[in-house]
Amino acid sequence: MSAKAARRLFWALVAILGLAGFLLSLLTGPVKTSAGDFIEFLGRYNPVQAAIFLDLRLSRAVLAFLVGAALSLSGAILQGYFRNPMADPFVVGVSSGAALGAVAALSLGAGVAVLGFPAQGIAAFASGLGIVSLVYLLSLRRGDFRVETLLLTGIAAGALASALTSFLLFMRSDSFDQAVFWLLGSFQLAEWSQAAAVAPWFGMGLLLALWLARDMNLLALGDEAARALGCPVGTVRKVFLGVATLLAALSVSVSGIIGFVGLVVPHGVRLLIGPEHRRLFAGSALAGGTFLVYCDLLARTILPSELPIGVITAAVGAPFFLYLLHRKR
Amino acid sequence: MKEQRGHFRGGRLLIVAAALVITYGPFSIADVTSWGHTDRQTSSIRDDLGRPFALPERTPERIVSLAPNVTEILFALGLGDRVAGATRFCDHPPEARALPKVGGLVDPNVEIVRSLDPDLVIGFRGNPLRVLDRIGRLGLPVFVLDIGEGLEDLAPLVERIGLVTRTEERAAKLAASLRGRTEAVAAALGGVARRPRVFALLYGQGLWTCGGQSYLDDLIARAGAINVASSLPKKWALYKRERIIEDDPEFIFVLAKSDPDFAAARDWLSRKGSLESVAAVRAGRIHRLDEDAASRFGPRLVEVLERMARLLHPERFVEER
Repeated sequence: MSAKAARRLFWALVAILGLAGFLLSLLTGPVKTSAGDFIEFLGRYNPVQAAIFLDLRLSRAVLAFLVGAALSLSGAILQGYFRNPMADPFVVGVSSGAALGAVAALSLGAGVAVLGFPAQGIAAFASGLGIVSLVYLLSLRRGDFRVETLLLTGIAAGALASALTSFLLFMRSDSFDQAVFWLLGSFQLAEWSQAAAVAPWFGMGLLLALWLARDMNLLALGDEAARALGCPVGTVRKVFLGVATLLAALSVSVSGIIGFVGLVVPHGVRLLIGPEHRRLFAGSALAGGTFLVYCDLLARTILPSELPIGVITAAVGAPFFLYLLHRKR
Repeated sequence: MKEQRGHFRGGRLLIVAAALVITYGPFSIADVTSWGHTDRQTSSIRDDLGRPFALPERTPERIVSLAPNVTEILFALGLGDRVAGATRFCDHPPEARALPKVGGLVDPNVEIVRSLDPDLVIGFRGNPLRVLDRIGRLGLPVFVLDIGEGLEDLAPLVERIGLVTRTEERAAKLAASLRGRTEAVAAALGGVARRPRVFALLYGQGLWTCGGQSYLDDLIARAGAINVASSLPKKWALYKRERIIEDDPEFIFVLAKSDPDFAAARDWLSRKGSLESVAAVRAGRIHRLDEDAASRFGPRLVEVLERMARLLHPERFVEER
């Protein structure tokens, strides 16, 4: 099969799987509903069914898709940025840093919005950016990264941020439910307002990444080579780091820390459709969204009560991470 | 190469156009969230979290209870046939077991609650706030109650549930009876000379007991005794074995779900090398309290009070027999 045919197959498959995932999400839940119920509902409005199908299940699937797409895109960008297939917003510490910011804003009672942005989201972005800059500076040696240093620094910084998050949460009442949400992630209480808050920023991030994808291709050759080919390396790097952090922080501020999505998905997509970044970014976003819709389906059906989705993504992602690490040696 | 650059430029223009659409698009999505939100002009009160609540004009017909004690009070108010759903822990009265289950105290399921189409959802401290908020934003009327610090908060709780279910009269009667029985115990114990030392054990893992901030501490005081763990500034606390030996309680009450559990706890307490020097163990003054009745802030707390008072001061209740 030619590379082109393989790519076509990939897009078709992801699109079909994505649509099937949405349909399954609409029909699956603790309240038994059949495809017939849904078709009947489309014909005749019923407030209870409207709430279950649209307000609860559809909003949840849409949010899971957006967050999965944002995390995967963030992972794809970070992998290009660090020239390292093991980077991802969770491994690099951005997600944990963002959760710390969001929880700190909540603990300080910051319900205020600054220039129309919720304080929680801004704090998540700022502290995510803080962590990733710290990791960047600490793992930079003579102008280049060592893989091990980057990963270890990221994991250590992430663990520290998670510890501080737990501390803040356990000082408050109602803490167990909150701690599980922030540290392991969940779409249980998803709603349209969250999807509406994430969607425009995700869209902007995706477009910015697609716009600069050619520069990312050049960065893969090394900063010197990229500069020689006319790529404004400094600016491009700053924009990509900002976009990757923004996407991860957004995701965390609506659904808590969901690990490994940004690691597994771009990696798989690269194997299937190749390393060209414009395709890789678009493919990762689409496949990542689909992946998280299915993970969320599992999270809410495996047990009678819901599992945090981070449990599912870690169960899939951590072995994959180990495999990559092992293969590298 | 030149052609390719041109191709990219065209691509970038497309991207800018799409960006404009995306930034303005979501505002129409945001409007969807205001669905189903209706403001009816009725008298508004505030729930225990201080949130406004529109008082219904008639008794709600489909009530979802998110806590066992609330379910108990609803049944006690004669609203059993109007309870549309309850938690999986709601097992008293026995009829409550047959109700549709909406999940547990800490994990009520929003979708199941919505599917029952309730006209009143009563939440309680212990339900996660985020879940209660989500249920409220689906347009369902949610009334949240807080747990009391002592028995004096029980009758007001009943009256508040009576108010939101518009069964004020029945609630007033029930509240009066609970107050009357509490006062009768107080009267019977009036001027007791000696207050025995009591240790309350929550049967399960380790020596869990109730500290000074729990309503059980209040119950023990009202039953004419002293809770040895009263100085702990907590609701529930893990107690040290040495401290029990030092405190030397004269009575031990075991909160156990069943008689076999109680027997196991009593054997464990009397085992050699454990607490055999403690007065209550030597004299065999170890008694069972029904865990469900004692650990739920509902009407059966008064039964627990009466039982404790009779066990602690039998001489004060002689004339009734």
